[in-house]
Amino acid sequence: MWWDTLLDPFRGKAVTIPPMDGAFRPNTRLETAEAFVEVARPEALLVHEGRLLVASGTDLLAFPLEGGAPTPLHRFETAISALAGLPDGGLAVGLVAGEVRLVGGRFDGRVVTEVAGRRIHAPTALATTGEGILYIAVGSARYGADDWQSDLMAQGASGAVLRLDLIESDGRILADGLAWPAGLLVEPDRSLIVSEASRHRLVRITGDGRSKPQPVLSNLPGYPSRLARAAGGGAWLALMAPRNRLVELVLTERAYREDMVATIPRELWIAPQMSSGNSFLEPLQCGGVVTMGVRKPWAPGRSYGLIARLDDHLRPVASLHSRADGHRHGIRDMAEIGGVLFAASRGGNAVLEIETGAA
Amino acid sequence: MTLIETRTLSKSYRGNLAVDAVDFDIAEGEVHALLGENGAGKSTLTKMIAGVVPPTSGEILLDGQPVAFDSPADALKQGIAMVFQETSLVPSMTVAQNLYLGDEKFLNRLRGVAISAQQFLQSLNFTVDPTATVATLGAAKRQMVEIARAVRLKARIIIFDEPTATLTPEEKRHFFALVRRLKERKVAVIFISHALEEALEISDRITVMRDGARVITDVTANFTRETIVRAMVGRTLAGSEASRKVAVRPAGDKVLSVQDLSMGAVVKNTSFSVFAGQITGLFGLVGSGRTETAKIVAGVMKRDFSRGGEVALDGQPVRYNTPRPAMRDGIVYVTEDRKLEGFFETMSIAENFYSGHLAAGQNKLPVVSRAEMTRLAESWSRALSIRAINPDARVVELSGGNQQKVVIGKGLVQRPRLVIFDEPTRGVDVAAIAEIHHLIEKLADDGLAVVVISSYLPEVLKLSDRILVCRQGRVVEEFSPLDASEERIMYASVH
Repeated sequence: MWWDTLLDPFRGKAVTIPPMDGAFRPNTRLETAEAFVEVARPEALLVHEGRLLVASGTDLLAFPLEGGAPTPLHRFETAISALAGLPDGGLAVGLVAGEVRLVGGRFDGRVVTEVAGRRIHAPTALATTGEGILYIAVGSARYGADDWQSDLMAQGASGAVLRLDLIESDGRILADGLAWPAGLLVEPDRSLIVSEASRHRLVRITGDGRSKPQPVLSNLPGYPSRLARAAGGGAWLALMAPRNRLVELVLTERAYREDMVATIPRELWIAPQMSSGNSFLEPLQCGGVVTMGVRKPWAPGRSYGLIARLDDHLRPVASLHSRADGHRHGIRDMAEIGGVLFAASRGGNAVLEIETGAA
Repeated sequence: MTLIETRTLSKSYRGNLAVDAVDFDIAEGEVHALLGENGAGKSTLTKMIAGVVPPTSGEILLDGQPVAFDSPADALKQGIAMVFQETSLVPSMTVAQNLYLGDEKFLNRLRGVAISAQQFLQSLNFTVDPTATVATLGAAKRQMVEIARAVRLKARIIIFDEPTATLTPEEKRHFFALVRRLKERKVAVIFISHALEEALEISDRITVMRDGARVITDVTANFTRETIVRAMVGRTLAGSEASRKVAVRPAGDKVLSVQDLSMGAVVKNTSFSVFAGQITGLFGLVGSGRTETAKIVAGVMKRDFSRGGEVALDGQPVRYNTPRPAMRDGIVYVTEDRKLEGFFETMSIAENFYSGHLAAGQNKLPVVSRAEMTRLAESWSRALSIRAINPDARVVELSGGNQQKVVIGKGLVQRPRLVIFDEPTRGVDVAAIAEIHHLIEKLADDGLAVVVISSYLPEVLKLSDRILVCRQGRVVEEFSPLDASEERIMYASVH
């Protein structure tokens, strides 16, 4: 009704988040999955030349797909934030320092710090196509690739998606003003699906970047991260943290947020995290409700483990969870090969191995 | 000492046995919990004891003597009072006036009434202001007044039907303290509830009923939550296994998204989604807020004015203050109470269908078209296999099953995208149940988003592609019919 528009300011803004139901119905498939390897803070995964590459801090490790001891491939000066494989066997490695390094292949040794005049401040995801095209998701123009929480608390929307032709050295800004783009998926028609973490949605960007990003999946129950092509069609989407009403409320309170960011260490903010329950100083551990005179402990989770399986139309059809009482939280990246999905749980310090027939 | 006893007490409605030869007894100062799923016959049994409905057969013994009550007033004279969920107090009168209603002196002094009410309430240790208007009281205080009235009329047996459903935790504590005080005064209390933990906490004995019959009666200490649930559900599994689903329809687009919806103490922060091409089953016991949630979505009821949550249709937030805009957007709610809300009983089938057509704003011209009405009636009567003596038959003359089909048809002529069926097969014969089930399945196959609210677990398991369970005003759990069992669903729905 027309008068609802007039009444809405008096009703107060409803702080709501979508329920985890339907395809997001909770289960414990991530929590009960086999650990492929335990490794500190895995950030990115890539199946490359018959090996699984894992980015862990500053180290790039290569694991045989059948399991076994890793081979250290490379050590960088700063932490790795993204990985992509080039068709000629080379690698594109995004670093927290704000650059993309090309390792191996015909572009070996090349360092990209800027595309079309836009500095790669926070390379959060990389994708390539066969024609030597590199797509770079830049999370923010202000914060580094490992500082998403700061960008979220500042309600930043300075992310961009860049396209770089490595052969012609021709760069272009495909989209700007994105709220922490954290995942890229190249579609067969050369359009790009981008996960916009802080706006909890996926958008489609045309290959030439001439039209505005179009939402294709909105109002997700978590903050989306990387996307990976699924073997049976469609895609896998990692959701690195859950949305909860308390964080949504904090996001509406600017003065509180500024005070919190200025005075409290980042791991203790009321903000989404990759893992929680590690310190007694963390907030929300003393929540509780009284039911039938009995005090029952309760607190909304700040971290969660969640991967969604999307169909060809990018509609969620199934999901894998590690729930509030689990540890395999903060899923950052996935890679599927031979009926097995590998998932990097940054909070759980492990790479998980899941039979995709079950998902 | 046994106060009241029933022997092979039965009640049937048009040949359907609601209560089947139940033996039940309660002693002085005893709290006896009566448990069972919806339609188990708990309310009918207690209504017979309280004189609200007469039994078909069997007898009621009060202090060992057979009694027959003509009315609730008659039962009250003998010391039996029943407190319903919706209290029978006069909201515009004060507490004192309500206490003495129907018992006033010829020359009544308000002050005198208030003073004696004050003394009486103090004797019960009830903290209610006798001069307060009933409309200003909370649910628990209203119940206190209702109980005080029963005690004042020397009730020896007080029956509570779902007393805690709408109470806050604080009010519940008051209520339990009050039941304990009644017990000390040697008053017998029959307590109908879906809250198993409450029953386990407060009662001395528990009786579980199922399908109109008594399953088990024992002292509370011998029960656990699990044994009660098993006794409540305990249907022969063979029947439900036979109709078990082997595959579910895949979800289409998200048609409806309900987030943190609230309405008073009935619907509390509930969230769920409904997808196209699927049947979403909504199961819950009485007072779980299922119907109210559906009515808010369809614009029949209103959510809380302030912070009432969000309802989104195809991703767009909507707020319907009346059903008409909801119908225009393609939402149809098929009511559980068809006689009161479902159809115009003195109108013909054709007129009823046409009213649905008009309500959805599908009439192009501002005149009633007889030809259109006939065409609609013919096509929908055929599609729904409505059997009537003649096409102009009034709906009131049809059987229950055909009446229900008219209600459904009245909704479907509106060409909806989301159909909410509330208890679609209640009071419908077996043949019509199969037809209605087939119709519901076909709607989902055609790509519509369908919600089925049902209290009958086998129906929920048979029809649903997803099962949502409501408890205390919110959706608390989701099951897939492929791995759900009646016991698991019931376990989630009780608290």
